[in-house]
Formats: sequence, C-alpha cells, structure tokens
Amino acid sequence: MKIEKVTVIGAGLMGSGIAAQVANAGLPVNLLDIVPDGAENKNVISQSAISRMLKPVKLGSPSQLMHPDNADFITAGNLEDDLDLISDSDLIIEVVLEKLEIKHDVFRKIEKYRKKSSIVTSNTSTIPRAQLIEGMPSSFGKDFFITHFFNPPRYLRLLEVVASKEVDNRKLDAIIDFCDVRLGKEVVVCNDTPGFIGNRIGMFWSLTAMVEAFKAGLTVEEADAIMGRPIGAPKTGVFALGDVVGLDLIPHVTESLSHNLSDDDKYNEGVKEQSELGIDSLLKEMVESGYTGRKGKGGFYRINSNNGNRVKESRDLKTGEYNPSIKSNLESINIAKKGLRALVEFDDKGGKYAWKVLSKTLSYAASLVPEITENIINVDNAMKNGFLWKKGPFQMLDDLGPSWFVSRLLEEGFEVPDLLNKVGDKKFYDENNDISLYFNIDGTYSEIEILEGHLSVKDIKRGQNPIFGNSSASLWNMGDEILLAEFHSKMNAMDPQIMEVLSEASSICESGDFKGLVIGNDGSNFSAGANLGLSSFVANVGAWDEAEKFVFGGQMAFMMLKHGNFPVVGASSGLAIGGGCEVLLACDSIQAHSESYIGLVEVGVGLVPAWGGCKEMITRWNNDPNQAKGPMASIVKIFQNIGTAKVATSAQEAKSLKFLNSEDGITMNRSRLLHDAKQKCLALIKDYSAPLPNEHNLPGPSGKATLDLAVSDLVKAGHATPHDVVVTEHLAYILTGGDTDPTVTVSDDKILEMEREGIMALMKTEKTMDRIEAMLTTGKPLRN
Amino acid sequence: MICGYARSAFTQANKGELSKTRPDDLAGAVVKELIQKSGIQTEDIEDLILGCAFPEGEQGMNLARNVVFLSGLPVSVGGVTVNRFCASSMQAIHQAAGSIISGSGELFIAGGVESMTRVPMPGFNPMLNPSLVDMDAYIGMGHTAENLAKKYSISRLEQEEMALRSHQKAFEAQSNGKFNDEIVTVDNIHLDGCIRPETNLETMAGLKPAFDTKGVVTAGTSSPLTDGASAVIVCSEDYAKSNNLEIMAYIRGMAISGCNPEIMGIGPVVSSIKALKRAGLDLKDIDIIEMNEAFAAQSLACVKELGVDMSKLNIHGGAIALGHPLGASGARITGKAASLLQTEGKRYALSTMCVGGGQGCATVLERV
Repeated sequence: MKIEKVTVIGAGLMGSGIAAQVANAGLPVNLLDIVPDGAENKNVISQSAISRMLKPVKLGSPSQLMHPDNADFITAGNLEDDLDLISDSDLIIEVVLEKLEIKHDVFRKIEKYRKKSSIVTSNTSTIPRAQLIEGMPSSFGKDFFITHFFNPPRYLRLLEVVASKEVDNRKLDAIIDFCDVRLGKEVVVCNDTPGFIGNRIGMFWSLTAMVEAFKAGLTVEEADAIMGRPIGAPKTGVFALGDVVGLDLIPHVTESLSHNLSDDDKYNEGVKEQSELGIDSLLKEMVESGYTGRKGKGGFYRINSNNGNRVKESRDLKTGEYNPSIKSNLESINIAKKGLRALVEFDDKGGKYAWKVLSKTLSYAASLVPEITENIINVDNAMKNGFLWKKGPFQMLDDLGPSWFVSRLLEEGFEVPDLLNKVGDKKFYDENNDISLYFNIDGTYSEIEILEGHLSVKDIKRGQNPIFGNSSASLWNMGDEILLAEFHSKMNAMDPQIMEVLSEASSICESGDFKGLVIGNDGSNFSAGANLGLSSFVANVGAWDEAEKFVFGGQMAFMMLKHGNFPVVGASSGLAIGGGCEVLLACDSIQAHSESYIGLVEVGVGLVPAWGGCKEMITRWNNDPNQAKGPMASIVKIFQNIGTAKVATSAQEAKSLKFLNSEDGITMNRSRLLHDAKQKCLALIKDYSAPLPNEHNLPGPSGKATLDLAVSDLVKAGHATPHDVVVTEHLAYILTGGDTDPTVTVSDDKILEMEREGIMALMKTEKTMDRIEAMLTTGKPLRN
Repeated sequence: MICGYARSAFTQANKGELSKTRPDDLAGAVVKELIQKSGIQTEDIEDLILGCAFPEGEQGMNLARNVVFLSGLPVSVGGVTVNRFCASSMQAIHQAAGSIISGSGELFIAGGVESMTRVPMPGFNPMLNPSLVDMDAYIGMGHTAENLAKKYSISRLEQEEMALRSHQKAFEAQSNGKFNDEIVTVDNIHLDGCIRPETNLETMAGLKPAFDTKGVVTAGTSSPLTDGASAVIVCSEDYAKSNNLEIMAYIRGMAISGCNPEIMGIGPVVSSIKALKRAGLDLKDIDIIEMNEAFAAQSLACVKELGVDMSKLNIHGGAIALGHPLGASGARITGKAASLLQTEGKRYALSTMCVGGGQGCATVLERV
C-alpha cells in the first residue's frame, strides 16, 4: 500500500512540525485542530500554525518548511466541520494533548471517518500503546501504531515505531517505508515500554548527569563542558539542554516516565535522589520565578543585556545567583580528545564526573536490551539520531572496552547487566571477512543488514581498496560500472589533490572501465569550498603561478567532468559552498539530500567564483524557459545571489536559486542519498551524450554600468563595504561578458578566462587577504 | 475637461493583495468600471492613453492596446502607452487634452498602471549608458531626496511629521468612506493597503536611513513600492454637454519642466508656476493642491519654494500613505483634484509631481 495523503490532528509545535515535514515531502496534508471557545475563525489554530511554519524557528535559522510554496500542500481545518477530510487520507497522525481520554475521543472520531485501508498513528511519548487501543474496536488496533517523532521533526532523524502482534504487517512495512523514504527518518522499531528507547535512556542520562553534578559540586559550566563534546553529546551538555527543552517541561516528563516505570527501576532511584538533593524543588522555584529556560527569562544560563552589553551568565547552583559564565578549564576536557577511556580514567573532577554518569547510563542501556527493543543497533541508532550523540551506548562501551568496564563496575560494587556479562572479553560490534556484525542477546553475532536503498561510502569501501586516491580524495567501485569519487579532506575542502582525483576519475571513465561517476561522501558537509589556508599561504609567499595553476587546474578538471563522454552525478548533503557548489554545477545532474545548503559564497572572502561557477549560473539562468528574457534579466539575479553570497537553506530552495536544475533529484533520507545518486547515474548512462559548450549573449559594459551603480547605492545606504565594490566590479565584469556587445556571443572559455583574471586580481589585494585571514581565524566573514 | 475618475485600491508591492494581479488586467478592470459608471458611448472614444513607467513584461507589448481589449472597448478605440516615468498618466491626460484642443478627437480615456511587484524597478533588463552613469543621470531617487533635504535644510523630524500627517489624513479619509466612490473593486480588493494608521513619530524615529547611512530619508518618509491603476475620462466641452456628462473640472493649464536629475524632486516648482501662468492664475488662487509625495523631503522642498498653504495640500493624504504605483499616480492625483473640487465645493485645483531624471509636470483645473 502507498501513503499519498495524510492528516495530522493537533496543530501544536509537534503536530505542525510533522505536517510541515509531510508537506516538505511534497504530499498533501490536512492539519486539523479544535475550535477554540468563541472563535470567529474556526480554523484559527491550524491557520496560525501554518503561518508559523513559514517563519524561522528563531532569527537566522531556517523555518519548518523547506520552501514557502510547501504551505500550499497543507489544508487547514477544524475538528467540528472538517472530519470528512480524513476520509481519503492513507495515514492519520494524532498529535493532541498527552491525555488518554482526549486521545480516545479523537480516535473514535477518526475511526468513524477513516477509510478501511488507512493507518492511524499516535505521536505519544508517554502513553503505552496498549492503553491507547483499550476500548477501541479490533479493526482500529490492527491499523494502529505509535510513531514517535523528535522535535524539530524537520531536523531530528529518529522516529520510533511501536507495533504489536495484532497489527497488519503490510501496514507496518508501509509506515516504516513512508517514514524512511518520504519523511527521511531513521526508523527504529521498539517495544511498547515507557519512554521507548530515546527518552528512556536519554532522560536517564540527563537525570543522572544533573544528580552527579550536584553531588560533585560542579558548576553548570563544568558539568556541561564534560557532558557535551567530550562524551560525544551535543555541546549543550545537560543544563543548557534543559534550558533549550524548557525547565517547565522537565518535571512533567520526569513524572510521567517515573509513573510508568516500576519503583525499583534505576530511573526511579535517580528521581528519588534528585528529590533528596533538592533538584526538583530548585526547578520548581526557577519555573515559578519565570526562569523556564531560553523561552523565558533564562534558565541555568541567561543572557544579561543590561547597559546594552550582552553578557552570558550562569546560575550558581548553591546560591541561585547569576554570574558571568566562566569557560571551564578542566584538564579532562583536553584529555577527552584521546578517547572516552582516557576521559573516564583521568583523575580530576571532570574525569570522575564522566565516569559516574557514563557508568550508570551505559549500564542502564545495557540492562534494557531486549526489554525495550530487540537489539543493540536500535539502541545506538536511537541515541545517535534522537539525542545527536556521536556514538550510541554500545559503541561507547566498545570504545571503553566492555571487559574493562565490567571490571571497574565490579570494583566499585555495582551490579553488572546480563548483556555485559555475556559479551565478556569480546566487543559489541565486530567485523568478519568484511562483514559487519553486532552482538546478540543470545551471545552470538549477526550481520548488520543494510536496508534496501540505503548506501554509504563505508558500505562501499568494505572489502575493497581504492582504485586511486590521495590524502584528500579516493575513487571507489560502486558496482554496476559506476565509479565513486569520495572527498575526505578536512571539511572536504577542495585542494589540488581533489582535482587530481577528479581528473583521474574522468580518465578512468573515458577509458571505458567505468560508465559513470558519482561524486559524494559520508561527511556531514559535501564540501565547504576551496582550501582557504592553502590559498592564503600561496598568496602570502607570492606564488602566483601556483595559485593560477590551482585555479586553472580546477577549471580543467571540472570541464572534463562536464564535457567528458560519461555522466556525472553529484550527491550533495549539508554544506556545498564555494568550490563545493562549483563541482556540483559541473555535474550532469545532482541528487541532493533535502538538507543541502548550496551557494556561491566566494565574495564573503573577497573572491569571485572561478571554477566555472559564473559560467554555470549564466547557463542555468539563461536556459530556463520561465526566466524573463533579455541580456540583463538573468544577470541581475545571478549578480544578486553571488554578490550577497546567498546560500540556499534547503535543496528545494536551491532549485529556486537554480543551483539545482528542475530534473535534479531530492532525497529526503540522508542514508539513501548515495543509492539514489547511483540510480540516477545508471539512468543517465543510457543514451548519454555529453553537453556541448555554450555561447552566451551578454549585456557588456551597459550591464556592468547598471550593476556598478546599484552597488554604489548599496554602499551609500550602508549595505555594502568599499571592498565589496572592488569584488563586485570584478563579478559584474565577468557576468556581463566583459567588453562584449549584446549582438555577439561569448564562449564558455572566455567566461572561464575572465573568472581566472578576476580571482587572480582579487587575490593580490590586501583586503581580500584580510578577508581570507579572518575567515580562517574567526570562521566569520570580515566586512571590510 | 475631466468627466470621470476611478482607480483600483493601491496595495503594497510584493506582499500586498494585488501582487498576484497582472497589471493589464488591473488597468482593464478600472477602465471598464469607469466607463460603466460614466455612461459614455464606448464607440465615441478616440483613444485609450495609458501611462506606465516600466512598459515591459506584463506591461509591455503596447499595454494600452491590450487594455482596450481587456476592458471590453470596441476594436475601433485606439491604444497608446506613454512613458514619463512617475508623470506618465498625467502626461496621458495632457496628451488627451492636447488632442482635443488640436481637433484630433473628442473623447479619451487617460490613465496609468504600475505593478511594481510584477515589473520591478528598473525593469528586467536595465542597460544604462556608461557615459550617462558618470553624469549622474540615473541617480537613485532616494539620493535626490537626500540632496533636497540638505539643500533646503529639511530636518528628519519635519519629514516624519509630514509622513505622519499623510497617514493620518489618509486613514481618516478611508474611515469616512472618502475613497469609496473612486475605488473600483478588483479581485475582491477595495481597500488601500499602504496606509499605516498605527504609525507614530517614535516608530518613524527608530527607522534607519534607507539610502544614505548619514542621511535623513527613511522608508517611513518615502512613498512605498505599490501596485495600482487609475484612469480619468477626458473630453471636449461640446461632447460633455451634448451627452449630458457630469463635468468635474476644466483643464486650464498644463506644463512640463526640466531640472537637474540630482534634485529631480524640485520638478513641481517650475512646472506648477508655468501651468498656473498659462491658466492666468496665481498659487494663492488655488483651493486644492494634490502634489505627489514621492518623498517627504522632496514635497517639503517644493512647499517651501512655492509657498504652499499646507491646509490645501493632499487633504485625503499623499503618496507616502496611499502609495505610488509610478505610472498610475498622475491620473490619481489629477482625478482626485477634480473630484475634491466637487466634494469640497471649490473652484481651482493644481495637481503636480516630480519625475525621475529631473522633470516636473503640472495640471491646473477649474470647476465651473
């Protein structure tokens, strides 16, 4: 069965976030909520939810919707008049208040209107499935699942699914497939136990981390400095995480999890301890005085903006006073770079704290398999995708060494969970003849199965040596005569080594050993652009020939990709900016992860795109039949986008900005990206003919005069700096075709030549060097 | 003489309710309704003269001829698009009047339209002559306002007070239904969208200078980007009388003047003086003054230079509050001046406006 139409009931934060993600997938979705007392507009709740989706969650961050047009997929409605909208929905997701009677009432309404073939799910995080279907007809139970999303649904990839023996397995498959392929989720099937996997372990961890911080008398900065990056968790650690979640919510979720667990559960021991230490009364007191976290006056941290200065302050856990935050300088934070074991063995309060929290948390996690889910992979996946841990609990145990961990538990008189006893001297994950294995509860190992349609470079590499490679990039056999070019330099920055590998890839494909090329990697960023450190070094020593060689070499490599007699597919995810964007533009086609942030940002560091970025944007805009015609129509838009270093906030937006073509594909699930890219490449091989070079009608000096005037007005208005004028003059010269006339054409090669001249001239200016230097040292653009 | 006036609501460009409406459809709807209201015989119309500042894209292809078709006029009616930037539709009125005087027709529709959403300034293919760029011929409008503020020592506060009064007058007029007769409902939109009744001096004082970091002109003291259309009926005295049309006003004087592009906003001064002279009048004879508020600084400079009595100026609000859809503004202020002569029971009116590139345009009206 296929899920093509969806209804979400409940337009609160989670409900609207889920509806937005369904719309992001390009599917129609109804968003229904109650009619508030006396409301004139009965759809007011869902309508205002839709308008909120268009706005950034916070200033400068992207919105729930990947593109404003996606709002058109959402139909606002209310539970009084619009229940019949449910009747053609294949999936109905309930996201109303966590009250059983309210949910039952909604379920009865759904059951009355839904079609037989539909699936119903609840986004509950606290109510067991068994209770939810109590009193409902068996036909409902057969079609009912829990689908537990994490907030925000656009970004957090974990989706916990709870089924039961009674369900229709085809429907289970359908819901898993839908959430995986369409919504881009990492689906983890778990048992009907309180808090499922993520919250059960994650809340135990945060509770323990708070309790142990109190017991050890740590400051909030110290505790967060250890519970963040050093253990592989996000840098918010535990206290700042509380501020983000909302301190008012913590007692509710603690209470509900605690209530559903047995008294002797280790979680409840922590709750007891928390109350003895006065943490719950502290939270209560903070909430009552308005310190609910980031949404309120502040929480464990606050921003004090007295006298116009914004000072970050931390709460003193003993006195309740706020003092300017002091960055923790615990030695254990540095030691942690050597590994988790080094951290927990280090003899300072940070190391001790890390051991206290991890020994309890990892033991707890180990004790919960198979109670909460059938295997350890599910646990690790849940923590990585729901709580953004770098490694899951069992991977962390492997890092520590399970036998060492057990011996230290015994030394300190702690109970050792069964699973840890079973694993003994072995590890939870193993490799055997290039097959990845995981440890089972029965003491055996099983192969880690790769889901159909999921593919990573890690999977591809297994059992083969690179066909070619160097320190920055490698070529791999993807199978089916497709070659993979993987970047693996720092931030996947583009350097001469990458160009060498791309040139080699072209030669190999031209020779006929491979029929197509995919460019992609497993990194969180496709490529953060040219290696600026290298550019800065070359410029500082005045090695202009080297610099020019780097520029020209890149152009050559990209032209070979573009015009070679084999298809090239770029697989983008995360940042693909500057040179990273240009390599994508040189591909025949792009398969983009929906969360691709693509842009030509060179002007930020005082440069112009010079690996064909200008040439490709001119081609793409001028070839679009929907774009206004005339010599300047496209050039104005391109000039604005490159001149302001505009980066698309999603793959969909990248289509609007024409970094992606209309035929380029978007993959919602990052894990499927390389598979989809390979399929795209295979499809292109058939009847492939390389694109011919283009000739462009460009406006020439009249166009440049127009753009220069616009920039000078921006300078007067304070929106552009003096060096922006210098940089954009070069950009304007290239984009308008130099000294051309609208009646004659300009070749691709001529534009490339102007790109080279432009970037070389700019590299020789002091202010461009200052911009590069600033980017390298501060990570922020310098506005000089 | 002017025998009828209508316009669409004026709404904000890009975010306003008319941003999805094609400008030719918008003008067509206004012309159609104007003719229906007036009861003129469409076969008698000689020509539809339509002003537009950026006649390309949806405003291209001789827009006026297309509006003839869209407004249901017979094919025998001509259509000509004229461009004098902001004064395009006042120019349309002048051309109609000139044709009548020269015996080249008796009945004309003169109007204008601009969708600043759908054909943004400065058009899709601006290609400036580099030598004119060096001469500052294309100087940005905001900067011309800054130049006048400096030249006439007009403070930021004075400008903000004028802008605030403009919003207050427009809101009061809107609340009292003063626009109901002139606004044609198009796509269910009948309310002006640019008026900010909630604005105040404090809000305006908080805005950053829009064009020059060291300047005094802000978005609050500039007319907003606007979508809108307007039209008037221009005919000979004989035609009006023999067809029993309601005569709103006689056109007594028309003038164009040129000035330095850097201070284009002072254009209304000389053109008004010329038009008044041609009408045999003095500014003190004038009861109603509609002066297009491109910028408060620009309007105040003209007020100072001409010695305008503020109580006669833009009594239902100016372009800062109502909006300034370039090609449509000239027919709006001239049609408005004619209708105010009627509703206020006055005799003489002046409509005048500045034009980018350094021009002024003015019309003197009389109700008999």
